[in-house]
Amino acid sequence: MIETGVWLIICIIFFTFSFEFNQPIEIYKFGATGWPRVVLLLLLLATIGNFSYMRIHGSAVQKGRVGIADEDVSDTDYRDFGALLKVTGVLGTPFIFAMLLKPIGFYFSTPFFIALIIILFGERRVKWVLGITAMIYAVLLGLFMVVLNAPLPQGNMSPFYDYSALILTLNTQLQQMW
Amino acid sequence: MWENFAAGSLALFSDPFTIAIFVFGVMGGMLFGAIPGVSMLTLAAILLPFTASLTPAQGVMLFAVIYCTGTYGGAITAILFNIPGAPENAPTAFDGYPMTRQGKSGKAVGAAVLCSAIGGVASALVMMAATEPLANWAIRNIGPPEIFALVFFGLAVASSVGGRSIWKGWMSVLLGLIIATIGQDPVGGINRYNFGFTDLAAGIAFVPAILGFFAVSEIFVQAEKKATGKFDAPKVGMSFPSFLEIWAHRIAVVRSILVGFFCGILPGIGATLAAFMGYGEAVRWSRDKEAYGKGKLEGVISSETANNAATGAAMIPLLALGLPGGALTAMMVAVFQMHDLEPGPLVFYNSPELIWIVFAAMFYANLSILFIGLVETKTILYLLKIPFQFLAPMILLLATIGSYIGRGLVLDVIVMFGAGIVGFLLRRSGYSIPGIVLGIILGKIGEQNFAQGMQMVHYDLFTYFSRPICLILIVAGSLTLLAGIYKAVGSSRSTASQ
Repeated sequence: MIETGVWLIICIIFFTFSFEFNQPIEIYKFGATGWPRVVLLLLLLATIGNFSYMRIHGSAVQKGRVGIADEDVSDTDYRDFGALLKVTGVLGTPFIFAMLLKPIGFYFSTPFFIALIIILFGERRVKWVLGITAMIYAVLLGLFMVVLNAPLPQGNMSPFYDYSALILTLNTQLQQMW
Repeated sequence: MWENFAAGSLALFSDPFTIAIFVFGVMGGMLFGAIPGVSMLTLAAILLPFTASLTPAQGVMLFAVIYCTGTYGGAITAILFNIPGAPENAPTAFDGYPMTRQGKSGKAVGAAVLCSAIGGVASALVMMAATEPLANWAIRNIGPPEIFALVFFGLAVASSVGGRSIWKGWMSVLLGLIIATIGQDPVGGINRYNFGFTDLAAGIAFVPAILGFFAVSEIFVQAEKKATGKFDAPKVGMSFPSFLEIWAHRIAVVRSILVGFFCGILPGIGATLAAFMGYGEAVRWSRDKEAYGKGKLEGVISSETANNAATGAAMIPLLALGLPGGALTAMMVAVFQMHDLEPGPLVFYNSPELIWIVFAAMFYANLSILFIGLVETKTILYLLKIPFQFLAPMILLLATIGSYIGRGLVLDVIVMFGAGIVGFLLRRSGYSIPGIVLGIILGKIGEQNFAQGMQMVHYDLFTYFSRPICLILIVAGSLTLLAGIYKAVGSSRSTASQ
């Protein structure tokens, strides 16, 4: 029921927002809304089909379906609050990291992100956490900043921006030595 | 043909700098294809400005070589970590990753090496022999209605693979199609679904979407297993497939070459659909359908042969007609333009040496896959021995960089991690991640060609479907769709009667 509800909400949101761009296109009869609305209609029909299928079979795999790995048939039970917390931490940390890239920048936030992910994945030995964090950070900077000169987010907030500027200045000096 | 090929080979191997570029392309394509999180597109995007200082032949050759070897490289991560390096390697993961879990990673990677090389070499040979006639045939017989029909067929095949039911398969594909409508519409350029974010006017780029749905969601799945104590490190298997094992699948190889070549020749379709259709056809003709997705060698063979068979074919519309078949071939157009050249029929007459260096380089690049692939495979398999807690941040950061570099937008990184969370939840509920990704990739192409086709036939559906190739593909797609629904309804009835 919840699953079907989510899909219906998606259909309703997208259908409602389609009125925002409901403009005719002179050279095309179906306009900008024709294609998305047909896709939404098909999605609605498939949602109804899925609902009726799930009422009978639950979440069982349809006979004859191919390409479903055992990995994708999860039966995890989240009665253990600690496990739920860990998974939520892993799901949330990258998203927070992404949100912080604009103000704080890649260069400053990355070591903290690496260390946090290693800890969330269960590593508790401090030396290993610090050592691997330093190694991954150095490899990434070496490959993308020094070798490939790839532009990465620098942040727009002091003192994080100043830190990025310092790293980039050091890189320029290193390049000039060659 | 052979004289031109010899001349192209000589030009390629007579200049040490050109050889260096060739070797760099082979190694770079394989490496970027094999590193989880970045892809051959990342490498191509980084290298694009530098091609201005190369000759046109060296520049186009470099990209063509990266295309061949990068398509293979993505199979390694698909097999070892369930993270396809590129969308064209997604079906490889269906059976490749279960094989890794069963300790048969060596067999899966070995089959991918061999079949990528076979598909690529066959495709390069046909490309050399028949670029002009095939391009002429394509220009006469393939138009927007046929491309739309092939997109429909491809989506129908994708919907039949991966979801827990036909409904979930179609819902995944349709979700991808609706995500693809975000951004400007391909006919009138009207902004759709930007929800107040100006950056969304450019649409959802498919690289962050792919990285999110595949790489990030896989990290989350493994995190869940770690947290609940169900994590089981993949086993390293070093045994390669024997000649007899590959020979037993010769029909699948030939079928996938044909499927891959046909898909590759069509502008805008390329290797991704080729891999899905190669896999789909293998399932369709198999007597042991149930074994697919659980570690069947033929699944890896079919998908890897088909996607590499599409690489040579994708060069045909690019070189003969000036129409790029995908993101990487579109970058090749940029290389041509940097040197004041336009790909198209005139290139064959104005710069034949360029064409034959590229053809020869693609042939040798595919052969290199075989030799370098077999040598490096044993080293690559040791990646499985790195503890996952150290591999996970590396993959997440490479994915972050890979999605940011394309357009320089932090929004793309947010979209990627958002896609990762959505992908994780959808996988748990039995939806098809490759279906969503294929929907995102083919959505714009399908809509654009449908619109152009309708304008061409003055909105007369009868004329639209009276074109033979179009009709065959629409009927085949509809049959695939109806067969899936029939099976779903049939199984519901039998359950109800019990």
